[in-house]
Order: sequence, then structure tokens, then C-alpha cells
Amino acid sequence: MNTGGGIMPQAKDNKPLFILSGIMIIYALIASSGILHPLMKFLHTAKTADLQVMMGFIVGGIGIAGALVNTVRKPGNTVFDRFVLQPLPGIILILLMAMAIRWYVEPVVKLISHSLQPVLGFKIYKVLNLNYVILGLLAGVLLTNTYGIPKFAAAGVKCARFVLKMGVIMLGARYSFAELAKLGSYSIVLVGGFVLGTVFFVLWLGNLFKQPKTMTGVLSAGMGVCGVSATVAVAPVVKAKSEEMAYTIGTILSFGIICMFVFPTIGHMAGMNPVQFGAWAGTGILNSAQVAAAALAFNAVDIKTLKVAEIFNITRVLFLPIIVLVLATWFGKQSGKKLTFKEVVIDKFPIFILGFLLLFAMSSLGLFSPPTHYKGKFIDFSYNERSQITEKEWETLDKALQNNTFQGLSADQLAAVKDLVAQRQLAGNFESRADKKAFQQQGEKRMDALKSITAAAKAKAITLPKDVTHAIKHAVKQVHKKSKTVSTLTDCMIWFFAFGLIGLGMQITKKAIFQAGGWPLVIGVISGVTKATLSFFVVLWLVKDVVLK
Amino acid sequence: MSDEKITIETGDAGKGTSTIDKNANTEELEERALSVFSSERNEDITALVLSLITTFIVLVFTKWM
Repeated sequence: MNTGGGIMPQAKDNKPLFILSGIMIIYALIASSGILHPLMKFLHTAKTADLQVMMGFIVGGIGIAGALVNTVRKPGNTVFDRFVLQPLPGIILILLMAMAIRWYVEPVVKLISHSLQPVLGFKIYKVLNLNYVILGLLAGVLLTNTYGIPKFAAAGVKCARFVLKMGVIMLGARYSFAELAKLGSYSIVLVGGFVLGTVFFVLWLGNLFKQPKTMTGVLSAGMGVCGVSATVAVAPVVKAKSEEMAYTIGTILSFGIICMFVFPTIGHMAGMNPVQFGAWAGTGILNSAQVAAAALAFNAVDIKTLKVAEIFNITRVLFLPIIVLVLATWFGKQSGKKLTFKEVVIDKFPIFILGFLLLFAMSSLGLFSPPTHYKGKFIDFSYNERSQITEKEWETLDKALQNNTFQGLSADQLAAVKDLVAQRQLAGNFESRADKKAFQQQGEKRMDALKSITAAAKAKAITLPKDVTHAIKHAVKQVHKKSKTVSTLTDCMIWFFAFGLIGLGMQITKKAIFQAGGWPLVIGVISGVTKATLSFFVVLWLVKDVVLK
Repeated sequence: MSDEKITIETGDAGKGTSTIDKNANTEELEERALSVFSSERNEDITALVLSLITTFIVLVFTKWM
């Protein structure tokens, strides 16, 4: 830290931030020049080129600005210092890692897996779920257990936990009332049963192996509810010893890490659907971050699995005060001196769940997209340049009509094609545009007719040139719109999760894992495996219907 | 009471490592629990505020502008 030696020593302190931000800006400059386009095309990341450039400039710009502020002013302990300037180098390091993994490491791993498939007979990345989530976690684990977290990044890494919570809060915008009601009822039954079942199973195992009640009490909460928080909350209630706490936390961590990597592979092998896997991960895994990691490892392309898993996770977190009350009653303890039941219920209430519900309410009230639209997706037949087909596609269709290429079409199908050529887009009649209902119905009728043409071509009931079916498909695709607000919020959420999980990986140290041991490890493994196995079969048996689209 | 301390690695970003008396009494464990609750509450509030700021910025650039 600078002690008044002028600007130069402070600039030296900020060297890592200058370097990281510089890398971001240089990368954005190179990417914007188009030099990397062939490489991006090869890696199938060309569609994200604009985002890569934008993120490079914005993150690099913020980093340089932060480094300059840190250089010209003496570092202090203000809110701005603690929340922005101090964590900035770590945040940029994690973002740089996330970008490199998402746009370079993951595609390279996929390409290598493809090329090794003839030799091995399977794709490594599919079997080991080597998507950007798992690769990010592994990169974090590797960094922290080899070189260690760089000193300049320590404050930024600590942000990972609340950034992960930001991801959960933003996820609230992606549920409908029906989904929340259905998943909520499933989760209360499943999580409630398994949480209480695990608590009493651990207490019974402790009795069976003649272990002290203090140890089994603290372990039962850790294995039943949510890891570290539950252990700390229950320790004074059951008068646990410090060593028992350390063993318990080590056991929960080690077990959770194994689950995080093993659950997605088992889920794929068992052919679970996203709802089933989300329910299983949310019930069987103990730590909130590990649940998110497993869900995204199972399916990182869309967020169906994550949506289900997080509802189960939130339900599990809400069970903590109930477990404290149950254990307190079990151990015959009325109330602590400082930690009363009121404190457990009120102080431990997870406020981020209120944020989740707030985003859900905002979304349901139509702030992000009209309430009639399903998760921001809607069909728009209105006259709009962005809904038109391309000039080349229009020429193809026009020529096909003139050459009588459309043989075997019904009158409605032919009329829909003729209208598409006349209007250059899928829409209702121009004359009836004032009557919205009639306009919408005409558009829907034409869309159905066009879809039936492509379906007939696919089934080889009619023969059409490929470019003609492409043009028709594109016309249909053009009227399927997605709310920009919902898409951007979802992108932000995915980046928050990616950031949080790399940070989570950086916290998985050998020391933390190897503190597990003794009877807590034995009882923890027995109860954890039992819970995971039983919940696997119960989920497969109970959760069958897919409620998400 | 013994001065011997025990270090607990929480393996959790934000909570990190904590040191506690090997023979900590209930009151000390209660204090520790309350301090963890308090840090979690601060974390939740930070996440909530930053999420609302992010949502507002997204709305400004994608809907209102």
C-alpha cells in the first residue's frame, strides 16, 4: 500500500489491474478488427463476436478507470473503496477467466472430444459434462491449489458468493405462476421429507455407533439442510465442540464437491429430464452454490434444470429454522442467551429470497414483457422491417411461384406462399390491420399453412428445393420474437452464475476438504449416500411430468 | 478455558477461514452464529441492491430508451 510516496508507487500497486484491463481492451480491439473471425467461426463462437468486443471494452474501461482512481487518490476504507476499488482486480480476473473458458476453452474441449470420439467410442465432454460451468470450477480449484489466489484478487473472489445470489434473484424473472406453484408444491413435499428424514437418520446412526449427541446433532443439521450455515446455527443449540464443527463442515464440503461432479453424469446416464434432475440435485446436494453448479453442469444451454433446482434449493434453505426448532426440542433446550429462536427465524431469514420473489412479481406484472407473453417469447404479425424475409429469399420464392415449383400444395398453403411473396413477411391482410383480432387470425392461419408446407417437405410428401424451404422457415422464424429485456436479463444471470462458480472453485482448497475425518465422515457419507440414492428413486417415481417449455 | 484454537475452513467464498477456541462454550458458539448470520444478511442485501440496479439498467437500455 502507498504511504505517501507519490503517484508512481500507487501505480505500481495497481499494476495487476492495469495489466488485466489492458488485456481486455487489447482483446476487444483485436476482436473488433475482424482478425479473429476465422478462429471464432472454427470454434463456433462467431455469433458472440459483438458481445466479446462489448464486454472487452466495458470491463477493460472500468478496470482502467478504477486503476487510475486508485493511482491518483490515496486508498481509504470508504464504501466506494470496499465495494468497488478493492474487489475490482479480482472481479476482472474472474471475468477474464470466464470469458476465456466460455469462448475458447470450452469450444476447444468440444473439438478435441469430437476428434477423440472414433478412438474412445464416446465424447469425453458429454460423459464428464465438461461445459463452461465445470471447466470454470476446475480452473478455480486448480488456481487456488497450485499458485494460490493472487493477493490482489482476494477481495474480488469474496464477491463470488453474493454474485451467485444475484444470479438466483435474477432467475426469479423467469418463472410463471403455474411453474412456481407446481414446483413449489413438489419441493415442499420432497425437501421436507428428506430434510427431516436425514436429520433423524443421522441421529439414529449416531445412537447406533454410540457417538456423542453433540456431534450427531450438528452433523444432522449439516447433512439435512444447508451445510455450513446450518452447522453454525445448530452448534450452540446442541452444544457442539469446535472440533466436531470442523469435522462436520469438512464432511459436508467433501461430499458436496463429489456430488457436484457425479450427479450430472448419473443424471444423463439414467436419462433424467431437466425437471427430474433439477429436483434431484436440489434435494440431494447440500450447498446452494453446488446445487447451481450441478444443474448448470447437467444443462448449461438453457436454464430449465437450474429453474427447478433453485426452487428446491430455496425450499431447503427455508427449512433451517424448523430444523433448529426440532433439534432444540430434541435436545431439551428452550432458548440460548444470545441466540434465541427469534434470531434464528428473523436474522437468518434469507433476504435474497425476497429479491427472487420481487423479480418474479415484476415479471408477472409485465414489466419485462407483456403478461400474455410466455417468458418474453411472443408472435408478432405486425408490419415490421425486422420481420421480413431477405431479398434473396424473396427472389427464390417469387421464382419458385412463377416456375410452378409448388406442386401438390393445398389451396390454403398456396395462398399463404403467394401472400408471403406479396407482403415479404408473414402477416394478416393489410386492409384488415385496424381490426387486430382478424389480422392476428389471418396471420396465424398463414403461419399454420407455411409450417405444414415445411413439415410435408420434411416428410417427403412433397418435393421442394432446399432454398425454398429455408426461405419459408425463415419467414416463420421472423415472427417469433423474444423480449430484448428478458433475453438481456437472462444473459446477465448466466454470467453471474459463471462468475460465482469460478469463485466457488477458488474456495475449494485441499485444507478445507482434508479437515473432514473421524466419525462425522463415516456417518456423513452413509447418510449422504442414502439421501442421494433414495431421492434419486423418489424423484424418478414422483416427478414425471415436464412442466416447463 | 484453554487458549488452544481451532481453525475451520468453511470452503465458502465470503466466509473463508475462521478461528475459534477449541473448548468454546455455548455463548461463544452463539456469538459466532450471530456473526455468520449478520455477514449473510449483508451479503443478501448487497446482492438484492445490485440485482435491482442491474435490472434497472437493463430496462433503461432495452425498453425505455
